[in-house]
Amino acid sequence: MAIKTKSRQKKFDTRIDFTPMVDMNMLLITFFMLCTTMIKSQTLQIALPTNEKVEKEQQNKVKQSEAVTIIIDGKIDEKTGLSNPEDGMLFYYDGMPETDKLAQGESNMKQIEFGAKTGGAYPAIREILQERNKEVVLKIADLKKEWKEMKFSKNEEVNDSIYQEKAKKIRNDSTLKRPVVIIKATPNASYAHVVSVLDEMQINNISRYQIDRINEVDSAMMIMVQAKNLKK
Amino acid sequence: MGKVKIKKKETRIDMTAMSDVTVLLLTFFMLTSTFLQKEPVTVITPPSVSEEKVPDSNLLSVLVSPEGKVFLEVLGSKDSTMKSETVRADLLKNMVAEYKKSHPSANLAFTNKEMETFSKLNAFGVPITKMKEWLNLEPDQRDKFLESEQNPGIPINMNEDPNNPNEFQMWVRAAYNSVNPELQESMVKGRGIAIKADQTTPYSVVNVVMDNLQTMKMNKFTLMTALKTEEE
Repeated sequence: MAIKTKSRQKKFDTRIDFTPMVDMNMLLITFFMLCTTMIKSQTLQIALPTNEKVEKEQQNKVKQSEAVTIIIDGKIDEKTGLSNPEDGMLFYYDGMPETDKLAQGESNMKQIEFGAKTGGAYPAIREILQERNKEVVLKIADLKKEWKEMKFSKNEEVNDSIYQEKAKKIRNDSTLKRPVVIIKATPNASYAHVVSVLDEMQINNISRYQIDRINEVDSAMMIMVQAKNLKK
Repeated sequence: MGKVKIKKKETRIDMTAMSDVTVLLLTFFMLTSTFLQKEPVTVITPPSVSEEKVPDSNLLSVLVSPEGKVFLEVLGSKDSTMKSETVRADLLKNMVAEYKKSHPSANLAFTNKEMETFSKLNAFGVPITKMKEWLNLEPDQRDKFLESEQNPGIPINMNEDPNNPNEFQMWVRAAYNSVNPELQESMVKGRGIAIKADQTTPYSVVNVVMDNLQTMKMNKFTLMTALKTEEE
């Protein structure tokens, strides 16, 4: 009998119950999972022109035939003072603003609605930009096909870097017809609006764009265009 | 007898394997985690297709609340050569020097203990004249004050005169001249300054910050965005 009990005790000793340990570990894992940021924020790099006047004059020499001005307008909620990213308007014109017939409500400015509600990211503005940047977009599309077929290299990383380099060359190729996009935003536009328009520049491979301040001519044109569209 | 024995074995599950797995997971999370830093305002950054990640070192981030309050966060280098603490302590010292240039009579001196407190803070955003008082508060009171409505944030205004900087510009200048040469380098390259604003923030608010940086000829910077997958 005595021997029997001894052996039994030994058997109990070798086995440790891990359940509390697992419980504690699970708790710790939950804690770490909730406290960590797995997804890091992305960044969008932009370069603004300097505030100096000399450079401003140089900028204005942008070839008028290539320039596209986009004006972003939003709506500010009176209660919160915030701008709703889903409620916005875009205005655009090519080249210089035509103001001779502004009093009659005629100008070269056009108004389009933000595509946020339709689901797509600005189908309207994308079409316009792609049309203006056709040569680059087509070339990049060809390049992308080659990239997908891994034509540059069998190695995925090498393939990627060669593609990136070639794409950059095309974007900055001065022999192609490339637009210069001038982005302006009214104070009512939301930050999200501006970022998504900047995004469109990336999507449509536009290498030359700048953010500028809105001026009186632009606002006058906006008011006229809006009034005209309301009458319709 | 035999029947009973089998039943007894079944009721007990071996938790060792489970424990192994949880410990592994725990180690993974502990090693990969970077803790969510407490920020005075919660912002939801707008989505963008940009895939560039936010650098986790040598970064001056400008946190803009929807009401236009500005907070700053400074990060040192990745390795221990220039710890965030060292950079922050130096930043405060530089800031005092910078502030005294335009306010020679200002009585502004920080004790070592206050410096140490400052170097451990992730985000700050109080007028420099209130800094001493703020640093001497209890930690939870400090957070509360930072988030409260009485706190105006770092004073900022539309200022296009680089010789007469506002407090925000002084802070940026102080960060630029800090002991950390890597921070200066990445600020020049445009990777060192990141603007973090909520997507509903009116553009006019963000514009003030951008304009201030432009005035200081720091016209290259990044905008923090969240990842958006592009639908094709």
